[in-house]
Amino acid sequence: MDFINPQWLGILMFAGFLFLLLTGYPVAFSFAGTAIIFGLIGMAIGAFDVNLLLSLPNSWFGTMTDSTLLAIPAFIFLGAVLEKSGLAEELLETVGLLMGPIRGGIALAVILVGTLLAATTGVIAATIIAMGLISLPTMIKHGYDKGLATGTIMASGTLAQMIPPSLVLVLLSDQFGVSIGDLFAGALIPGLALSVSYMIYVLIRAYLNPRLAPALPPEARTIHGWALGKKVMKALVPPVVLIFAVLGTIFAGLATPSEAGAFGAIGAIGLAIANRKFSWKMLGDAALSTAKTTALVLMILFSSTLFVKVLYGLGGDMLIDSWLTGLPGGFWTFIIVSNIVIFLLGVFLEFTEITFIAMPLLVPAAEKVLNAANAAGAYGTEGYTMIWFAIVMAVNLQIAFISPPVGFSLFYMQSVAPKDVSTALIHRSAIPYVIIQLIVLGLVIAVPETANWLVRAATASP
Amino acid sequence: MNLLLKLSKGIDAFTDKLGGIIKLIVVLTIAATFLNAFLRYLGKAIAQTLISNELIQVQWYLFSMIFLFGFPYILLHNTNVRVDFLYAKWGPRRRAFIDFFGTLLFLIPFCLLAIYVSINPVLIAWGRLPDGTFGAWEVSSDAGGLPMAPLKTLIILGFLLLLIQAVSQLIKYLAILTGRHETDHVVMAAGATEQLAEEALHNLQPHEAHEAGASH
Repeated sequence: MDFINPQWLGILMFAGFLFLLLTGYPVAFSFAGTAIIFGLIGMAIGAFDVNLLLSLPNSWFGTMTDSTLLAIPAFIFLGAVLEKSGLAEELLETVGLLMGPIRGGIALAVILVGTLLAATTGVIAATIIAMGLISLPTMIKHGYDKGLATGTIMASGTLAQMIPPSLVLVLLSDQFGVSIGDLFAGALIPGLALSVSYMIYVLIRAYLNPRLAPALPPEARTIHGWALGKKVMKALVPPVVLIFAVLGTIFAGLATPSEAGAFGAIGAIGLAIANRKFSWKMLGDAALSTAKTTALVLMILFSSTLFVKVLYGLGGDMLIDSWLTGLPGGFWTFIIVSNIVIFLLGVFLEFTEITFIAMPLLVPAAEKVLNAANAAGAYGTEGYTMIWFAIVMAVNLQIAFISPPVGFSLFYMQSVAPKDVSTALIHRSAIPYVIIQLIVLGLVIAVPETANWLVRAATASP
Repeated sequence: MNLLLKLSKGIDAFTDKLGGIIKLIVVLTIAATFLNAFLRYLGKAIAQTLISNELIQVQWYLFSMIFLFGFPYILLHNTNVRVDFLYAKWGPRRRAFIDFFGTLLFLIPFCLLAIYVSINPVLIAWGRLPDGTFGAWEVSSDAGGLPMAPLKTLIILGFLLLLIQAVSQLIKYLAILTGRHETDHVVMAAGATEQLAEEALHNLQPHEAHEAGASH
């Protein structure tokens, strides 16, 4: 059957995979299912050598002994302890009290706390659900525009995947083969740029139309002066110090990310004890949710390993590589096309899946294209670094989370919003934030220094 | 069928127990990682080498156990990510139909494939020689490293546990398809998102959630 080019069979795998996903079958096993079907077809037409699968255990074993991935349970556990002990909730309450008196204050508090929580955990779902349950009712009660409220919560929750340390950066560093510390350093400025842009947006909206986000009336501010100061010292300062300590040790190279995460987790347990919020049940709950998320990510990784092996066996990767490197227009076409592809994939898939299947295809092509551009002195001599490209991909991936109609942040928001907040309203409310994210993406693409500068600064410091 | 459902119940009870184990392993992983960094700095301070490759490799064992034992647990508790904008609208039978055939045609073959391809490398790690006799088992090439054979064996164990849980799921889906099960609580009514929300509700408002549960 010569008329079926096995390389095209590789491309068809993606279509088969998307079809399986639409049936609602779990993502992790859809990878394996697609691989099994196409592997069998490939064997039937003699285009797939089944012996390739004998290397599976070796690849899996490589995953099990990968020190980078050890950071996954460490950071999830740190975030889970802060969340389950109620420390995160108090943080939100305290910042809300502090910012309440200004117009749009609660929305600003949500963005600030979203930024801080993002720096502990890479789990978007947890952040959005927690803030949606706590802040959305408060904002609606005080007369905030519902759209402004839901949009702000979704965008702030999505910061979890951009601001280091985050799960997506850990996985990207693994796929790109770049140092995780460098990637964290590179992501910090773009992540903060997003967060600051959201705040500016809220301030402008609230200034132009105070009815959208009124300041809290005096009677709603129950604590003042010293009592408020004490609450700030107790609920706000310690977690912030902890977060900076964790990030600082990673950037300064004092500890590996997994070690810093473990230190942070122990610190968070210490805080819980100091605040009398510690219980063995809380610790067990945090550990169990850590184990579940870790298992979920690794299940998808194990399953996608099989998918990628079959794809390579059929030669689909070579076809994609030849398309990507042979694009007319070279560098800029490649950057634009890869961004559009990742954005579209992000509409359907979660970052784990995209990272595991699209990045192995993009990374080799990106290396060639970036090297060629640097050799031609396109941006200095080595301005287009792989770190920069990884950060561009990370910013892009997080847009996909809240871009309607299909995005995980939208789903999470829907699941906690009151009944009178319609799906259409939630979708509309995301659009201004998607536009802000696109502007920041454009900025990071146009100015590689946003990612590169801190990486150099961190490396240069002793 | 009743016998099968009993079997499924037994498997579920067993897998649920794994939850207690992986909880403990997570805490141990964090402790081992912490200890490793702590001893490195303490060692530097007193000019002694306190860390060893053993401690680093213990982390590999613990990390691997979290997810390999976690696979069957998340299958039982339906923590899997689904693209559920259609799935969530369907009735219990249609969902059971999708999950039944998915498990039968994809998940179970995947487990069998994983176990099959792993047997030979694992036997070699345990020291099997080409002539069928056994020599020394594989030990990490790092100085003072741990034996790698048990770690490799965990791959088979993990997929075996996942296979057993998959069989239990299959029985439950079949029970729904044949009308034996009226409720669909075994196939979790909603996708992962609602479940996450529910979990968060439990954590954030324990009293209210409890009351809601009691009146249910």
